[in-house]
Amino acid sequence: MSAELDSFLTQIRSLSDLLQEATPRIESNARTVLSTPEIYGIRHIILTGSGDSYAAALAVAPALRAWTGLPVQPMVSMEASRYVDHGRPPLSGRNRGLLVVSISSSGEAARLVEATHRLRALGAITLTVTASPASRAARAAEKTLDISIPASVSAPGTRSYVASLLGTYLLSIRIAEVLMCMTMDCAGALRSELAGMSNALHGLSESMEAAARERIDAWGLFHAADVIGSGPSFGSASYTAAKMVEAAGIHASAQDVEEFHHLNYFVDTPESIPAILFAPTRSVAVNRTRELVTALEQLGRPYLAITDDTSFAPAKNVLVLPQVNEFFAPILQTVPGALLSAFTAAKRKAAHYRGHTGPWRGARDAALVRNSKIELANQ
Amino acid sequence: MQSFSLSTNHNGLYDITPMAVAELAASGVTAGMLLVSIPHSTAAVTVVSPWDVRGLEDVNDEIHRLVPTRIDFKHQHDTPQDAAGHVKAALIGHSRMFIVNEGKLGLGHSQKVYFWEFDGPRNRTVHVQVIGK
Repeated sequence: MSAELDSFLTQIRSLSDLLQEATPRIESNARTVLSTPEIYGIRHIILTGSGDSYAAALAVAPALRAWTGLPVQPMVSMEASRYVDHGRPPLSGRNRGLLVVSISSSGEAARLVEATHRLRALGAITLTVTASPASRAARAAEKTLDISIPASVSAPGTRSYVASLLGTYLLSIRIAEVLMCMTMDCAGALRSELAGMSNALHGLSESMEAAARERIDAWGLFHAADVIGSGPSFGSASYTAAKMVEAAGIHASAQDVEEFHHLNYFVDTPESIPAILFAPTRSVAVNRTRELVTALEQLGRPYLAITDDTSFAPAKNVLVLPQVNEFFAPILQTVPGALLSAFTAAKRKAAHYRGHTGPWRGARDAALVRNSKIELANQ
Repeated sequence: MQSFSLSTNHNGLYDITPMAVAELAASGVTAGMLLVSIPHSTAAVTVVSPWDVRGLEDVNDEIHRLVPTRIDFKHQHDTPQDAAGHVKAALIGHSRMFIVNEGKLGLGHSQKVYFWEFDGPRNRTVHVQVIGK
């Protein structure tokens, strides 16, 4: 086993312990990060980030929307930075009803730092979910939700992604609880359910590794993949596609279940492009996802359904996860998403991030995303 | 002591007299005291007339008028309703003591014992202790 595969697997296998250790601490931080009057002033929420952090925003947004009834938009950091403050007067009372949750584990992504500065200037309540409370993004925001976690071996971000999910879920539960959209008992039950994911994660990676590796081996040296899911699972699809690119260097893209039928369905040489499908059966999108399986079969697409129902598709095309609340499914879906990426990289003998060498040398030390010029409005 | 479970589905008054009467009967005590106590800080125990349901609503409405749910309580660890509930519970009290005479609970014709929920719905507990001979 290569050192990179070993590191990646070590991260994935550590998620159960991570959740157990981090949940109470992050919950305590989430409980006090916004005051009650601030929460009652919220009329609109933007969850923003880039890369894995945007995937976390996508994964949690449906839950936050459902729990609070508020309009919640996941948004890439470029849109949050440059396309929200157009023509809107800064520091106006109306903008105070906007809560901007900037998600960044490092807190140093330039566009996110910029978005946080600009939206704070607009009058929004800005809150950074970060593992780096002294970072530029944290300093740019009024509030910081500290999601620091113990360091681990270097590998494409998996623990940091789960910590971002955890922080954003716990913040969402807190907002819903204080708004009394749910009782304290309901909020407590959701927190317990979230913490209980630690049990579901325990040994999950080890139980899936052989099957995941076998599927990747069966697909041969593919150069592109679609990763598909809806609602919270679209966040998992985005995360998995990101890991496929980072770890294995293949052209992987995330797609919504419905949109696949409109677009990716028509891709040429379907037999050469695997599809990875997130299909929790408690999802409100499950019936459309079953139709997708029929479409994939008809197209002759190699595919793998990551589901909680062994009969969802033929056995060779299924990886089974424990059945959980659809809103929390992304926590468990991280494991197969990361495993498939790790084994794809290993099969291709691909250096993670192409080793940050040759044509990819510009990304060394994250310079590509950290050193972009920050443009602040009116400066 | 006997502990009873109570699931509240709204804020307001819940008749717990049957719990007190049942524990008194089980104790065999004919003369002494009966204590109703609750281990909660956002609920209380009180005595109200049961005969007009609207009267029970008046009692509940009035405490909410006196201590409305607001968002500017200093206690922000939980919800505004919880913060208001702490104040209401502190004002009303979490226990009541009753005389037991000739094996009967010393309540008048227009008196029943009520659990008063200020932060429902919740799963609650009511303790009843009988002391005497």
